[in-house]
Amino acid sequence: MIDGLRPGEIVLEDASRAFNVRADRGRTLKELLIGRERAGGPPPVQALRDVSLRIEPGETVGMVGRNGAGKSSTLRVLAGIVPLTSGRVGCGGQIVSQLELGAGFGRDFSGRENIFLNGALHGLDRAQIEARLDAIVAFSELGDFIDAPVATYSSGMFLRLGFSIAAHLDADVLLIDEVLAVGDEAFQRKCEARIAEQIAAGATLVLVSHDAALIERTCERVIVLDGGEKVFDGPVDEGMPFYHRLMGTTEEVPSP
Amino acid sequence: MAYRYLFEQMVRRELRQKYKGSALGVLWYVVNPLVLMGAYYLMFGVIFPLDDIEDFPLFLMVGLVVWIFFSQSVISAAPSLLEQGALVRKARFPRLTIPGAVVTVQMVTFLLILALLGIVTVALRGTLDVALLLLPAILVCLYAFVLGFAFAVSILHAYFRDVAPILSAALLPWFFISPIFFRPESITERATYRAILEWGNPVAPFITAVRDVLYGGVVPDLAVLGYIAVAAIVALAGGRLLFERLQGELAVVV
Repeated sequence: MIDGLRPGEIVLEDASRAFNVRADRGRTLKELLIGRERAGGPPPVQALRDVSLRIEPGETVGMVGRNGAGKSSTLRVLAGIVPLTSGRVGCGGQIVSQLELGAGFGRDFSGRENIFLNGALHGLDRAQIEARLDAIVAFSELGDFIDAPVATYSSGMFLRLGFSIAAHLDADVLLIDEVLAVGDEAFQRKCEARIAEQIAAGATLVLVSHDAALIERTCERVIVLDGGEKVFDGPVDEGMPFYHRLMGTTEEVPSP
Repeated sequence: MAYRYLFEQMVRRELRQKYKGSALGVLWYVVNPLVLMGAYYLMFGVIFPLDDIEDFPLFLMVGLVVWIFFSQSVISAAPSLLEQGALVRKARFPRLTIPGAVVTVQMVTFLLILALLGIVTVALRGTLDVALLLLPAILVCLYAFVLGFAFAVSILHAYFRDVAPILSAALLPWFFISPIFFRPESITERATYRAILEWGNPVAPFITAVRDVLYGGVVPDLAVLGYIAVAAIVALAGGRLLFERLQGELAVVV
């Protein structure tokens, strides 16, 4: 961890992360006692390779790349959920990660109860959540469904509630991973507007998406990842053409 | 404590989620131990009565509730991190709250049953004594001991999936060597065996202490009180340390 960062500042220094790939993920006691792992199987996957970057407070950064390029791993590292194999990471201020909206929802609990549970997961206390409750409920447009168990929600309603909670947590850093695609067009626009408000208030945005138009609308800066390495980092009007060329023909990638 | 409210929410969630949709709901937490107590009473109170202990049913029940709290807590804590995998993989929050909530829910059930049983025992045995004032301190030690044990078991099981099966296999013989339906001195003459039964099993002194104040109406031996205080601190500190050492890769392994 890197300490002493300003709220909204993000730093990665020579960050690397490898994952073991095995169908059966658990290690057994036997392996611990004999002191060796089962042989065979695919070698570890290098999800991030010596990635260094610095993001200033208030920047809007899009992260693009093909499937498996390391985008989601980078977000999970920034969110502090997965540690690095080597290198250093730091994220200043209150981090709000939207890696999977509604991940912590108890399906048998009502929408309202889940607001409290989810707020608590982000370190808020009862009073802080109560102060935001009306805004969250109004934003979600769930109406009377807010008191129904979330098990009865459609996937769109689930997303609305998840986003509404995350959008009202006073984030310094917003980490968003391809989560807006489920909502209808009107709600997506509303989400984008809400994100823009938070950015205007000083929040830093890191957005992972395959939606090129969304990245172009919301981000000033683009980071292209490929095979766990940072292959481009710069303004969006240069980054997106670079990304499109990368996706089209890998062989003819011009140097950034 | 920034995450105090989270802990409260996790306890509520644990309490409601497990038996949600069943007719008895939360009552199952109380029904299960009661059924277990009934079964053991039938076994050791009626079929194979041990007559050398007076008010044997009360003697048995007081020991049994302590054991049930311990065993139910560690058995439900072991897989708890895996059961909350969706949360662990996607959100950052103190993971200790997961096994902590499991044990706390068991503690609440235990206190309910112990309160009922305690009143009956003290009334029937006439053991209302100043020794009872020690009970809260004994229960705090028991809670800390079980909590530490549960921390260790839950984080170990997340990495090594053999831990929960080993634990459930070990609990049955462990039950039989615990002084629940016997007194160590009444089954062995040998001082070494007796010492092993009394001190080698960390659950035994807790059973003895609770039984001394409720069933016996006496202050437990200083050695017993010292043992449970040390066991509580060692288990809690050790379990927590182990958990914090190992929790780094948790989002990857669950």
